[in-house]
Formats: sequence, structure tokens, C-alpha cells
Amino acid sequence: MKIFINFGKGFMTMGKTTKMVLFLFLVNLLFSLILAVPMYHSLKSSIGTSEAGNRMVDSFDYIWWEEFRDEAQGLERTFTPAIIGKGAILINLESLIQMRFFSAPPILIGFGLLYIILHTFLAGGILSTFNQDIPRFAVKEFLQGAGSHFLRFLALMLFSWLFLLVIGAFLSSVIMPIIYDISSNSYSEIIPFLLVLALSAITFFLLLFIQMVFDYARIKVVLEDENNVLKAAVKAFGFVFKHPFSTFGLFYMIFFLNTAITVIYILVKEIIPQSDILTVLGAFFLQQLFIFALVWIRCLLYASQWELYRYLK
Amino acid sequence: MFKKYQALSFFLALLFFLTPAASQETFCKQIANYTMDVTLDTEAKMIRATEILSWTNDTGYSTNELWFHLYWNAFQNNMSIFLTEAERRGRSVSGFKKDDWGYCRVESIMVVANPYFQEYDLMPYLEFRYPDVENLFDQTVFSVRLPSALRPGQTILLRIEFESKVPRPISRTGVYKDYYFIAQWFPKIGVFQNGRWNCHQYHSASEYFADYGTYDVRITLPSSFVVGASGEHREKIDNGDGTTTHHFFQHSVHDFAWTASPRFLEYTENFEFASGKRTEITLLLQPEHKRLKDRYLNAVRNAIKYSSLFYGDYPYSTATCVDPAYNSRSGGMEYPTFFTGGAYFITWKGIPRPEGVTIHEFGHGYFYGLVGTNEFENAWMDEGFTSFLDSEIYYTAYGEPLYNRSFFGIPVTFKDVKIPIESSGISGHRQTSNMDVLQRFAWEFLEGESYGANSYSKAELMLRTLKRYMGEDVFARMIKAYSQRNWFKHPQPRDFYAVVSEFAGRDMSWFLDQFVYGSDKLDYAIGKVSSQREKKPEGWFDGEYIKRETETNRYLSEVIVRRLGEVKLPVDILVVFEDGNEARETWDGQYRWKRFIYQQPSRIQKAVVDPEFKLVLDINRTNNSQMRKPNRLALFKWVSNWLAWLQHALEFFTILGG
Repeated sequence: MKIFINFGKGFMTMGKTTKMVLFLFLVNLLFSLILAVPMYHSLKSSIGTSEAGNRMVDSFDYIWWEEFRDEAQGLERTFTPAIIGKGAILINLESLIQMRFFSAPPILIGFGLLYIILHTFLAGGILSTFNQDIPRFAVKEFLQGAGSHFLRFLALMLFSWLFLLVIGAFLSSVIMPIIYDISSNSYSEIIPFLLVLALSAITFFLLLFIQMVFDYARIKVVLEDENNVLKAAVKAFGFVFKHPFSTFGLFYMIFFLNTAITVIYILVKEIIPQSDILTVLGAFFLQQLFIFALVWIRCLLYASQWELYRYLK
Repeated sequence: MFKKYQALSFFLALLFFLTPAASQETFCKQIANYTMDVTLDTEAKMIRATEILSWTNDTGYSTNELWFHLYWNAFQNNMSIFLTEAERRGRSVSGFKKDDWGYCRVESIMVVANPYFQEYDLMPYLEFRYPDVENLFDQTVFSVRLPSALRPGQTILLRIEFESKVPRPISRTGVYKDYYFIAQWFPKIGVFQNGRWNCHQYHSASEYFADYGTYDVRITLPSSFVVGASGEHREKIDNGDGTTTHHFFQHSVHDFAWTASPRFLEYTENFEFASGKRTEITLLLQPEHKRLKDRYLNAVRNAIKYSSLFYGDYPYSTATCVDPAYNSRSGGMEYPTFFTGGAYFITWKGIPRPEGVTIHEFGHGYFYGLVGTNEFENAWMDEGFTSFLDSEIYYTAYGEPLYNRSFFGIPVTFKDVKIPIESSGISGHRQTSNMDVLQRFAWEFLEGESYGANSYSKAELMLRTLKRYMGEDVFARMIKAYSQRNWFKHPQPRDFYAVVSEFAGRDMSWFLDQFVYGSDKLDYAIGKVSSQREKKPEGWFDGEYIKRETETNRYLSEVIVRRLGEVKLPVDILVVFEDGNEARETWDGQYRWKRFIYQQPSRIQKAVVDPEFKLVLDINRTNNSQMRKPNRLALFKWVSNWLAWLQHALEFFTILGG
């Protein structure tokens, strides 16, 4: 019941902060556009005035793409036929869980890192907004809030990475060799497949868990103006373990909402043909709506967790 | 037990070779004939065998020595040529324990008395040879000196006793748990050609070469094992001691390999691939791949049916496909009438697995099996031809496969992204094939990628280009003639040249030489497309001053076609005008560029060089066309898709931060 009450409260808060979501969405879009411009020029330079341009409207010109791929450097290497619909989501999921992002082009790694730090900064603004009696978005106050919490949030981020590093080291130096050994002595590929799948699921669960704990740490920092980030993190762990049903329940409820929206997006996106200007624009609008929804859900998670923390405290 | 079989085999061999009726009707001269009694000791992972070899000198030259391969000695230490070369290519063996190494040791080798020779012990005259690379650690080739010369037409009968230690899986052979894949495992005589022995050391990048003959093999092993091998499975005798002897027989082949595992699921069917033409298909499947049974069998059926149609009716009575065990490293390999596929337990429609590899390896039954090319020296003549065969058959039988990518070990297909046949091999060719030329000994390529890009990709692309250049009908007749005329022979490149030229009606060396002996690339491009209104005449024309004020309704258009690569082939050009009119040109491609000028009532819409995509070897297809008004919607469409992926990535990865 606590879960639904606080989810409802979070939902109500989101009704008052649509402008903030729009602002965060625009930050995401503008940030992404910085890289989309060189990608546009790369594609333009490769396709040029060729007939491949026509073929790429109706379908995917595989022969052109192979030529592009064989010459690709840096960011261009990320352009594959798999970025369509479900592929885009799966690439990111696999990159995160199996830590394949380390093999991404350096420019993308650097850019992603910058965005994570930027988002850490913005998280301060998000929680400051929720910390008002009546949550209301104003750019100046938002940025002031973001600035005032940034260093503590940055420390929390680094602290969370320490956890991730320990987990990653354990998985790669202890668990992976065991899986490798079992795979090397296995009768069939099904065993290693299941082991890797299980390990991926556990890794994802741990990532989500760390995210949830540090969400509460950030909430504690803002709500209680806690300056000791180490203490905030330890208390956050304590809070989650003290109220496991509420914290996990709320988190996974919103996680499943995220998943449901993602699945709906994939299904709708895959039936849009993108063969003329109207459908291409329609698909673009849908994509942006999807990203907007993801940003909204991230804020909803913060808002609901904020309410839950206050409720249980 | 072993001695009993040795004695039995000896008499059987004598019976077999001395009574012509026993040799049945064969497809060709049986030059190298083997009768072997083999025992597999699964505890020690050893093979102990007696080999009765009857070899006929079918050349016009005498020889006073015999040369043999001992392929498995490549795996007896890490200093062999094979493993040295493998290490150089980044594929070194690691973690081999004492029991993991493999070898083949000749225990005795005797001349058996026959009308030409007395009984004679050749063991004192056994000498390891190094025809390619002087390396004393390499014992993959040996020779024996004969007591007297073996003259043209004479046959020698040898009794060889040997034992082979089955290695840990390596290079498509070995044992993994209770799965045995046994290939290149016995002392195998080389090929005597033009007065010399063609018997190369075992190299990491090379395959094999042998003469045709009859293999009559009895394999004894624990009764729980299911066994598959080259040829007909004629008999299965329960020895009553927990072992069973399997008898396999096949004439007119140049190799014999076998597999054994208690886990195999065995499926057999009689398949009519053409009117009145039948063969027995056997599939040995891993239990975890049971749901792939129909896909495997269907692939074998398609391979037999279309290979027969395109290259001549499959002559053998059996075709055995083995689904290799996980970690066995035996997938994707070919032996006469016997081959391995390769599958992953999850596959979907549109993913060419297990079909692609199954068709390819069966296809080697033609190009290497029936057409007995020397894989050491002319790798492209088996790998390239077979790559061409497998893609042609796959696309004929199944259509275009879908682009797929695996996530968390689960393959995902993208239904909107189909892979056209023209893409088969082009990427490898574009990137690395100019490191070498096609016609090169397999171990003399700069690196593995270059070997693959040339022997497989470039040769396949050359054949497809030739097909489109000659025309499908002429090519179809040519390739079938080349295939059938060279069954049970050892053709050289010149033999292929001759058939191509015959069917083309002229010498085609100018075409083939550029690819077989050249490393140049093919790249035609549209250099320029422009259209502008014809100039208004102004000035003195035949003594009369003219200055026309009104615009004409005609356009002066220019197309420049360029040859960016060094390969020169005639090429077609298509120019399409905005009113729908078309102009077609042919250019010999000799000079670097060619300009075409048109005066038309309409502007050019597009120009395309090689519009029918005949020159599939062209390394850059994108520059083959130019639109005067290019469509920019594609850019927006794909950049927006990529943008959405990036936006999601950034948002998703905030899980690591705020």
C-alpha cells in the first residue's frame, strides 16, 4: 500500500513539473545533437549523390553500409543496421551489463562520461525542485539547486563507481573464470549460454540496486542537507535494507513501467515504414516522445522515492 | 585381438587387390588404395592400426622412393611448421598437457611380396623430409627408399603398422570428452606427378592433396559409440567383448575420415535428388540440436539437389553430415562423402545457420572431392569455387538471409535488412585481398586474413563477375563442364582457363589473369553528372552574325565515367533523363576516364556505371551512380534513427551516475 501511495504522490508531483522534464529532455536532445552533426556529415559524405540515398529511404542498403563500415573510424563505427528499433535498446543494454562500452569509440566514451557528470549535476536540480513546498520548475532555482549539491553528488557518484568496480572485479576475476572453466568442459553451448545469461541478469540487478541505494543517498543529502556523503550512502543502504519491500517494490514498479513503455515503443516503431517524409517525421516524433517518456519516468522514480523516504522517515 | 585383425586384414587386402572382381565398378583409376583395421582405445585415446596400401605408379616416370604424409605429427610439439605458423597468425596452442599432444608413429613398414617386389622391410630407410621448410622438429612428411625402382604402371603393396595418439581438439581433429573426430590420421601417400613427389609438409593455412582410390576400413571401438565415416557403412559386427567393429567402404575418393560419439542422434533417409538418382543421407546430430534436424537435413538435400544440377549428378551412394560437438573444433570441414556442419542451439528463419556451412562443406565434395584440386598449391580452386557454390545454392534455395546480431547469446534478426548475394565476400576482398594474389601456395600468404580474402572471397567474386560477364546460360554450361571434365583429376589453373575460353569463344586470359595473378582492385565510378541549357548561339557563323535571344528547349548534359582501380574490364553505363529517356553506353575501360555528351530535351536524372551490377568485384559500389538531385530524406531518416539510439544510450547510462 505504501508503494502505491507514494507512487501516486510522485505521479502528482510530476504533474507539476512537466517543464522540468521538458528541460531535461532538451538537454538530452541538444547534447546528442552535438554528435549527430558529425554523424550526419559522415553519412552525407559516404552516400553523396549516389543512388544508395534512394535505396536507403525504402530500406537498408546493405552493400553501401558494408562499404561505410569498412572505412569507418571513431563514431562512425557505431552506425549499424542494429540501431533500428529493438536493436538500439538491446545494444545499450548489452553494452552496460557486459561492460562492452569500454570498446566503444573513445569520443563516445568521453561524451558519455561527460553526460553522466552533467546528469549528476542536473539530479541536484531535480531533487531541489522536489524539495520545495509546492514543486515548481524555474531554470534559475533549478540550476542553483544543481550547483549547491553537485560536489556531494559527484562524490556519491564516485563512491557508487567504487562499488561497481568491486562488483565488476569480482565478476570478471572470480565468476567469469569459473564460467569459462565450466564452458570449456561443457557438452554443449547451452550451459555457457545459461550461465552468461544468469550472470547478466545478476549484474543488471546489482546495477539497479546500486542505483536505487544511491538515489536514496542523494535524497538524504538534499532533504536532510547531509554533508557527509559516506554517511549518506551508509544510511541509504540501511534504509533500503530496513524497508526492502517498499523500496524494491516501488523501484521495480517503475522499472516495469519503463520496460512496458520501451516494449510499446519498439512494437510501434517497427511497424512504421519510414519510406516517405511523413512516416520519417512520424518516426522521429515517436522516438523523441519515447526519450521524453524515459526522462519523465526517471524523474517519476526520484519523485516517488522522495515521497517514500519522507513517508518512512 | 589386435593381431587377429591384422592377419585378417592382410588376407582381405590380398584378396581385394589380387582379384579384380572385388574392386567393383569404380568411377576412376584407383591409384592409392587403403585397407585398414583400426582399433580405438578410448582409455588411452590411441588409435592402433594396420594399413595395407596398394599404390600404382600411374605416371610415365619411375620412382625409387615413396613419400608419405604424417599430418598428426604437426601436433606432437609446438615447434612443428603447423604450430609455428599458427602462432605467427595469433592462433597458438596454449595449455596443452602431456596427454593433449597428438602424433602418428609408424611402427613398421614392409613391402608385401607381389609380382613386382619381394617382401622387404622399409623401416631402415624411413627418413623425414622437409620439402617446404627445413625444420627438424617437423615430422609431417617422410619417405622410404625402395629396393628397386617402381616403373610406370607397376603396383606396390605395403603393410604399415602405426599408432596415432588422438590430440586434444585442434584443426578439425581430436577428441573432446567422448566425441572423436578423426581426420588426416593415418600414413597417407603423397601424389607422384611429373616424376616428382608432391607431398607438402602440414601447414597451418593449408589443406590437403591426395590421389583417388578405395578405402576399405574396419573400425573397432566400444559398442556404445555411434560411428560415421566416409563411404558406405557396410557392416556392424558385435565382437561380444563390449566392442563393435564398423566396416566402411568407398571407392573413388582421396581421403577417409571418421567420427564416433555415444551421444550422436542418427538419422538416415534415402533422397532422390534427380529423376532416378538417389543417395543415402545420414545426419549425426548432437542431442541439444535435435530441433535443428529438419533444417540440417533440408540443407543437405538442397546442397545435393542443386550441386547435382549445377555441377553434375552426385555420384556417391552416401552423404554423411556431422553436427560437431561443442568445443570440438571440428565444425565446418569436408572429407569425401563426409562433412561437418556447425550450429548454435538458437536460430531463426532468415539466419543461414546451419544451412550456410552445411552447404559449403557438402560443396567441397565437388571442389576438392570430385575435382581433386591441390589444396596446398591452388587453394582458391577449392575454397573459392565452393564459396561461390554455397552462396549460389543458398540464395537459390532460401533467398536473401537477414542481417542478424546476437544479444546475450540470443540471435536477433532485422527483417528490414536483407543481405544481397553481391555482398558475399566483398568486404574481405576490399580490405585485404591486395596483400597477395590468388595463385599462391596456401602457406605463403602474408597473413590469415589475406589467405581468406583471396582464396575464398576474391575467387568467389571473380566467378560471380565472370558469370555476369559471360551470361548466366553460358556460365552455367561452362562451370558444369569444368566440373565434370575434371572429376577424379587434379586440375591446374590452366585447365580452368581453357574451359572458360572455350565457352567464351575467345581467349579469356586477359580477364582471369587480372585476378588470378594480379592484386589490383576494380573500381569504376561516375565522376561527374551535369546538365545545362544549350548555349544560345552568338557570334559569326559562316559569315553571318547571329545572336539568338530566346532560350532553347534542349540541354547539354555531360557524364564522366572514371576508372579508379587498376583492373580493366569493359563496363556498361546507363544514363536516365528526367523525361524517362535512357541512353546506354559501353566503355572498354582502358583509359582512366571517358566523357559522354548528350543533347536532349531533358536534364539528366541519374547516371550509373555497371547498372546491372555485373562487376561484383567492384570495391566501391556507392560511387557507381550519381543522381543530379540526390534524395536527402535517407540522411534525415538514418541520422534520426542513430540519434534516437544515442539519446537512449545517454539516458540509459545515467544508471551509472545521477
